[in-house]
Amino acid sequence: MVNAMEKIAVVGGGGGGIGRAVASRLCDDGFLPLLLDQNESAGTETLSVLAAKGRASKLWVADVSNRAQVREAFDNVVSNYGRIDLLVNLAGGTMYAHLIQDFPLSEWLAVIAVNLKGTFLCCQAAIPTMKRQSSGSMINTSSNYGITGGATRTAYAASKAGVIGFSKSLAHELAPHGIRVNTIAPGRTATARVMRNYTPESWAASEREIPMGRAGDPADIAEGVAFLASPASAYMTGQTLHVNGGMVLP
Amino acid sequence: MRRFEGRVAIVTGAGQGIGRALARGFATEGAALVVAELDAARARRVEQEIVQEAERAIGVPTDVSDEKAVTNTVETAIREFGRIDVLVNNAGIFPLSPIETMAEDEWDRVIATNLVGVFLCSRAVVPHMLTQGGGRIISLASGRAFEGAVHGAHYAASKSGIIGFTKSLALELAPHGITANVLCPGLTDTAQPRGHDLTDEEIYARGAKIPLGRIGQPDDLVGPALFLASDPARHITGQTVLVNGGSIMW
Repeated sequence: MVNAMEKIAVVGGGGGGIGRAVASRLCDDGFLPLLLDQNESAGTETLSVLAAKGRASKLWVADVSNRAQVREAFDNVVSNYGRIDLLVNLAGGTMYAHLIQDFPLSEWLAVIAVNLKGTFLCCQAAIPTMKRQSSGSMINTSSNYGITGGATRTAYAASKAGVIGFSKSLAHELAPHGIRVNTIAPGRTATARVMRNYTPESWAASEREIPMGRAGDPADIAEGVAFLASPASAYMTGQTLHVNGGMVLP
Repeated sequence: MRRFEGRVAIVTGAGQGIGRALARGFATEGAALVVAELDAARARRVEQEIVQEAERAIGVPTDVSDEKAVTNTVETAIREFGRIDVLVNNAGIFPLSPIETMAEDEWDRVIATNLVGVFLCSRAVVPHMLTQGGGRIISLASGRAFEGAVHGAHYAASKSGIIGFTKSLALELAPHGITANVLCPGLTDTAQPRGHDLTDEEIYARGAKIPLGRIGQPDDLVGPALFLASDPARHITGQTVLVNGGSIMW
């Protein structure tokens, strides 16, 4: 089952649009991407993309905000593959958007649970293995909204700004163990889930607002992740890489 | 095929330290190099280092704060190699003076080299990149842009200025497929800190306070520079990438 040449990557949210592009791109750099996703059919679709690239991957159907499910998946990864070289946390999204006076607490907490607590739980689950290896890399996902905020997105922006603060603290804690922690911050990205909120006209208009004149392709984000996962960024930790066509310049 | 085969890169301040490492890094990936360097002997030496590895390079003595010299360097690049795909603005100086005794001519010299030089070199390559339909401009700032520098007010001003300049440049050039980004090294094992009367022992001892446990080496900047200059980084512009072992997390 384990090819000694393959590095093991766990991709949380590997069934999503960006997750699929990231998993696919990581194959080119010698990773075997293993998938966590709560959506079984989306995760299975990514498995078939990876199979077409000759990678026998595996999907764990898990809610990243559920500690027991996360632990079970990571225990399973470690017992089957023996190591974790890379963790990419991509699960999450806007989920709910309301003006603050209309935002139900339950929905606000759900956004924080998946985007922020899910990142915490997955990182925590991977740490013992990476510490044992004295190596590893974690890449968490923020967003342009984590920098700028946005009306109706108090929960999402809080979670995504939170990911940056969390990742910096983790970078400090884990650097002595040879483990790097960085953050990728996509801007508006052309995934099916994002685009269904737009008409073709409003999508085109939104792309014109971006300095590069287009939304990001999931492959653009995947390239940023591949860089942060590679030895080319060996001296980078605690940093946030924005891949947004110039949409936000922190 | 190497990533920069058939491409042409200009690296300023390429006679030593980080600039030399970057020039050699691009050459290793197939780029023809213009080694732009104030000191003619150093320019020639790095040119020869690259040529001896069977790559193409030309050393061009260049004062980046001199408009005519910059024009000459860019014209030489076009004459010798026919195009300009990458500009790395690396040349810089870092003298130390307490603010109350900082001479106006020292202030002017730092701003002229570190900031006006970036403007002049960028301005000179842009017409060629526009004609070619794309290009990459990477400018070296510093952690000092974020933290300031005791007795280096001019240096910090110039390096912060590079970040503001680059964001504007990125916005202007985004519609034309030209990206502009900033790389910020931390303390790096070059002649620069030695010029501040730090002993080797003092310099290396600072590594203990850096999360990844060591000061930077010039080669640490090569992977990030090659990535930002590469095709896969086409959607990254106006960004500031810190390569510092986690000494400052941005």
